[in-house]
Amino acid sequence: MKNTNINRRRFIQLSALAGGALTVGCIPTSDGKEQAINLASLSDEAGFPLNQFIKITEDGTITLFTHRPEMGQGTFQSMPMILAEELEVNINTVKIEQSIADRDLYGSQMVVGSRSVQSEYHKLRKMGAAAREMLVQAAAQQWGVDAKTCFAKNAQVFHKDSENKIAYGALVQAASKLSAPQNPYLKPVSEFKVIGQPIDRQDIPLKTNGEAIFGLDMQVEGMLHASVERSPVFLGKIKSFNEAEVLKMPGVKAVVKTKRNVWGHEREGVAVVAETYWQAYKGRKALKVKWDNQDLEKNSTESLFEAYKEDAKKTGDSLHKDGNVAPIFEKAENIVEATYEMPYQSHVPMEPMNAIVHVEKDRVRYWGATQNPNGVRSQLMRQFDMPAEKVGINYTFMGGGFGRRSQTDMVEEAADISKQVNAPVKVIWTREDDQTQGPFRASQINTLRGVLGENGEIAALEHKIVAQEIRNQTGDDMTAGRQLMGGVNTDYQIPNFSVKGVLQKNYVPISYWRAVYHSTNPFAHESFIDELAHKAGKDPLDFRLSMVKRHPKFEPALKLVAEKANWYEKAKAGTAKGVAICERSGGYFAMVCEVKQEGEKIRPIKITTAIDLGICINPDTVKAQTEGSIVMGLTAAYAGLTIKNGAIVEQNFNTYPLLRYHECPEIETHIIPSADDPAGAGETGLPTVAPALANAIFNLTGERIRRLPLDKMNIIAG
Amino acid sequence: MATINFTINGKKASLEDVDPEMPLLWAIRDNLGLTGTKFSCGIAQCGACTIHVDGAAIRSCVYPISAAEGKEITTIEGLSENNDHPVQKAWIEAQVPQCGYCQTGQIMAAAALLKENPNPSDEEIEATMGSVLCRCGTYPRIKKAMSQLVKK
Repeated sequence: MKNTNINRRRFIQLSALAGGALTVGCIPTSDGKEQAINLASLSDEAGFPLNQFIKITEDGTITLFTHRPEMGQGTFQSMPMILAEELEVNINTVKIEQSIADRDLYGSQMVVGSRSVQSEYHKLRKMGAAAREMLVQAAAQQWGVDAKTCFAKNAQVFHKDSENKIAYGALVQAASKLSAPQNPYLKPVSEFKVIGQPIDRQDIPLKTNGEAIFGLDMQVEGMLHASVERSPVFLGKIKSFNEAEVLKMPGVKAVVKTKRNVWGHEREGVAVVAETYWQAYKGRKALKVKWDNQDLEKNSTESLFEAYKEDAKKTGDSLHKDGNVAPIFEKAENIVEATYEMPYQSHVPMEPMNAIVHVEKDRVRYWGATQNPNGVRSQLMRQFDMPAEKVGINYTFMGGGFGRRSQTDMVEEAADISKQVNAPVKVIWTREDDQTQGPFRASQINTLRGVLGENGEIAALEHKIVAQEIRNQTGDDMTAGRQLMGGVNTDYQIPNFSVKGVLQKNYVPISYWRAVYHSTNPFAHESFIDELAHKAGKDPLDFRLSMVKRHPKFEPALKLVAEKANWYEKAKAGTAKGVAICERSGGYFAMVCEVKQEGEKIRPIKITTAIDLGICINPDTVKAQTEGSIVMGLTAAYAGLTIKNGAIVEQNFNTYPLLRYHECPEIETHIIPSADDPAGAGETGLPTVAPALANAIFNLTGERIRRLPLDKMNIIAG
Repeated sequence: MATINFTINGKKASLEDVDPEMPLLWAIRDNLGLTGTKFSCGIAQCGACTIHVDGAAIRSCVYPISAAEGKEITTIEGLSENNDHPVQKAWIEAQVPQCGYCQTGQIMAAAALLKENPNPSDEEIEATMGSVLCRCGTYPRIKKAMSQLVKK
């Protein structure tokens, strides 16, 4: 990286524009060499940046910058759609480019928790609107008329009282010299023309001809390749390895110890560095590493669950409390009780982890696929004591993320190797590495107790969660935090309700996984609500309706899904339906799953959803995300990880079966129209999948599913 | 070490001094710089690395380069000139890709199937498309695209 202060032209005219969301509105021109080949360089020739999101050239070319990485969630298109709406341009004729990574310019660029559209909606509208007002102002000045008599439409400014019109391209030079309005006029939702339309995504054609560039596809001049053998029991320490032998192999340049930190645990590995990936991989296969695995090999799924079950007897820390459950349980004659078990899960993005890092004396550069470009920069700044401007971040499309790429351990490791061999190094994880090293989705045990009142309503409910907590995996603090109760529905109108947590700590690394604790707790919660409905002799959907009366989101969603899924019709022979509801990232889902007995097997044949996500920027993307969440939720219901001799058993797709094409049920998504601010769409469909499926299986067979994955119980073979 | 000659996307290629055991995938990606073909499982379970060898879909992650001698290879880059192969057009029409990483494999598998049999049965489609994994869950849209292609 050259001196970025010299290379950057900063336009400060949008200071304070976004009301605190951005402190500086400006645009850099970056060193073109820093950019990945499919990424925008904001530095190209002529072009007038109206702010860091919008650039227009005099020939009328409009470029909108999308500032969050794309992993399939569709923000590449949906964020510029928000800009285009207020800017009054046609999204199909503008250029969309990925912005550079720069926290000062853009704020957080991390893509997690389905937050991008949700958190950036107002900011992007303001940016689009401010640029539009600057263009209108420039036209008004040119015509010598009041800006109030002018309006913008389809990339032109018109004068109401005359035939005058002028294209944006002819206005940008003047407009870019104006100061930005602090409170630009925002359109009423009723006038939206772009937002709310199912518009084709500009990144899709790149993904049908091999043009889209992912982290794995990056090449850097002079780069070496590394394949790393890591401890199968996560925390094993290296005792010795056959360095001399492996060094003799073709193309092998170095065999070095490496390390990375995963949520407070230092993890070790041995890296074989070679001229090509294949040489590095072959060298790695010839490695013989002796590990000090302490006593970690004694761990198994069974031993871990035994510890969880023992701890489930503890009172636990209070995470949520309505009314007082204790006196009800004391007096109750019949307490309904159930325990649910869920396994660890891998993220399994189709693109395995990888990173290229080049550590030099006075700078560090990264190329790769990350959900967290700011976090990668911070990691490298910390690791090498470098200021931000000496750390170059080049991020690409991601071949899936699902939370795994929010972590930076793969970058730390590649950087550590690069530093040792004094060259740019590309580390590619094998599928087995990706699958078995974690960090994983948490495994947990949830115990629920409930008491029904005289009229079959829930008089008291207690939900206890026994699990590891992502943000508290090491150290002595054994207090369960509220993070643990994600996905436990607190909107049900239950007079006495308590949620408790019993924190677990063990050596298995966990992290964020699509929907996080919303991917686990709702299986227990919504299954148990179903159990209570059946105990009360009530229809499970009506039972839920009675507890969400007048709830502005859940009640309409449940009613709509009942109608669309023909809930009240008599089931055809050999079929049954189950229902579940959940809120995630501000979005509300009601889901009905229909299952069918086919010989020995039970298959989900149709999943119907009714969803309220506020205003949907691109309803087609919302549907795609819902379909994707459901498919991932089904895999998580069918497959899971087990631990034997301290290590993960399921190493690849032959033992960790992802849902396949012919196993995918019909999916019907019904979006409830709304003008409310957008909620997150990327995960919201996942939490309800397992409970809706399990509840359907109960309705079909009378057998209650209390343990996932299902394949281990021979109920469904995928 | 060996020298291997083959045709790729209509052009002659000669790779010298390569490990004959190296999977064709790495030759395509690293030696020839065609990165549209993807690595994912390495054991022929997911189909992300699907290419055509003499017109048939194969998994390049387990296909040793020595077996490519004299063969005609097509990768996603060579499927069409302008992203306008009927499968590519149907994929765009149905807005199939999310992350896009597996879609090379999906498209190459579908193209090989339809070339061999323009009117495959549902079972034949399931056998082919069921062999390519997608973690994003684009299956409902792949189904839509396939039904458009088979109808035509």
